[in-house]
Amino acid sequence: MSGSAVMDRAFICGVAADEARRDAANWSTTGFWRERTQEARLARTADPDDDLVRRVGQGDPAAIQAMVARKLPRMLALAHRMLGDAVEAEDVAQEAMLRAWRQAPRWTPGQARFDTWLHRVGLNLCYDRLRRRREIVTDAVPDRPDTGPAPDRGLLAADTGARVEAELARLPLRQREALVLCHYQELTNIEAAALMKISVEALESLLSRGRRTLRQALADIRPGAEGA
Amino acid sequence: MMDRSRFLALAEAYGADLRRWPDGERAAAQAYQAAEPEAARTVLAQADVLDDLLFASRPPQPSVALRDRVIAAAARSPRRASWRARLGLAMGAGWAAAACAGVVAGVVMTSHLTANAQADAILYQSTLSTVDDMEVLG
Repeated sequence: MSGSAVMDRAFICGVAADEARRDAANWSTTGFWRERTQEARLARTADPDDDLVRRVGQGDPAAIQAMVARKLPRMLALAHRMLGDAVEAEDVAQEAMLRAWRQAPRWTPGQARFDTWLHRVGLNLCYDRLRRRREIVTDAVPDRPDTGPAPDRGLLAADTGARVEAELARLPLRQREALVLCHYQELTNIEAAALMKISVEALESLLSRGRRTLRQALADIRPGAEGA
Repeated sequence: MMDRSRFLALAEAYGADLRRWPDGERAAAQAYQAAEPEAARTVLAQADVLDDLLFASRPPQPSVALRDRVIAAAARSPRRASWRARLGLAMGAGWAAAACAGVVAGVVMTSHLTANAQADAILYQSTLSTVDDMEVLG
C-alpha cells in the first residue's frame, strides 16, 4: 500500500472516531472554544441563502427549484472530485439535497452558513463512501491506468481535464479535500479550515503541498497548447 | 508590508488570483504587488500556470433525472408552517382549550348536582321505614 493510501485510511478511520468523540471533545475547553470561535467567524458573515432556506422550509416550489439550481451542481462537483466516480457522486449529491430538505424547516439563521453546513453533509457522505471502499479493498492498491500523455499525440482540452482529475484523485485525501474546497468550491480559507477541523495554517500547508505535487505531475502539459 | 516569502507562500497555497487569498492579507499583498511589481508578476505567473490546468477539469452537470428526483423528494419532506398557518394553529389550540375547559366544568357541575340529588333521596328515604338505603343508592 502506498504511503498516501495509508494516510488516507488512517484519516478516514480518524474521521469516524472523531464523529463518535465529537460531543465529548466539545467539552474540552480548548477544542470547544476553538470551534465556537470558528462558528462565530462563520456566523458573522451574512448568509446569502437565509431567505431561500426559509422559503424552502415552507415548501415554496419556486424556492425549491432555485435551491436545486444553486446547490445541486455544487454538491455534485464536490462529490465527483472527492470520489472520482460519477454514479457515487450522483448518489451523494442526491442524499445531501434530501438532508437539506429535511433541515430547511428546522434551520436557524445566524448559527452557520447553510452552504457550509451542506458541504459538511456532503463531505461526511463522501467519507462514508471512501471508508466503505477501504473496507472492501484492504491492502490491494487499485490498478490505475497510465494517464500520462501518449508520446505520439497532443492533448485535447478534454484530455487535459481528465488528466487533471486523475492526478487530483492520486493526491492524499486531505490535500485533495483542501484543494477541492478552496479552489473548486471557492470556500474561504476560514470556512474550509473549519470544515476540515484544522487551523488555517494547516490548510495552507495542505494546499501548498497539493499544488506542488500537481505542478510536478502535470509538468508535461503546456497550458494553451491543448489541441495544437 | 508583506515580504516576498509570504507572498510566495500565499501564491503557492491559493493560486494567482488575489480574490482567493485570505481577506486579512489581501491588502498587504496588493501593497507588495505595487511595491515589487516584477517579483510579484513572476510569482503569480507561475501560480497561474497551475490554475489554468486545474480549471481544465470541468465537473459533470446534474442530469435532468437527478434534478427531478431531488425536486420530487422535496415535496415529500416536512415543511415549516407559515405564520398564517401557525396563527391558525394557535387559534385552533385556543378553541380546543376552551372546549376542554367547558367539558371539565360540565362534568364537575353534573357530579355536584348529582350529589345533591342523592343527598335529597337519602334524606327522603330516611323518613320511610320499609325502604333499604341500598335500593335507592344502588
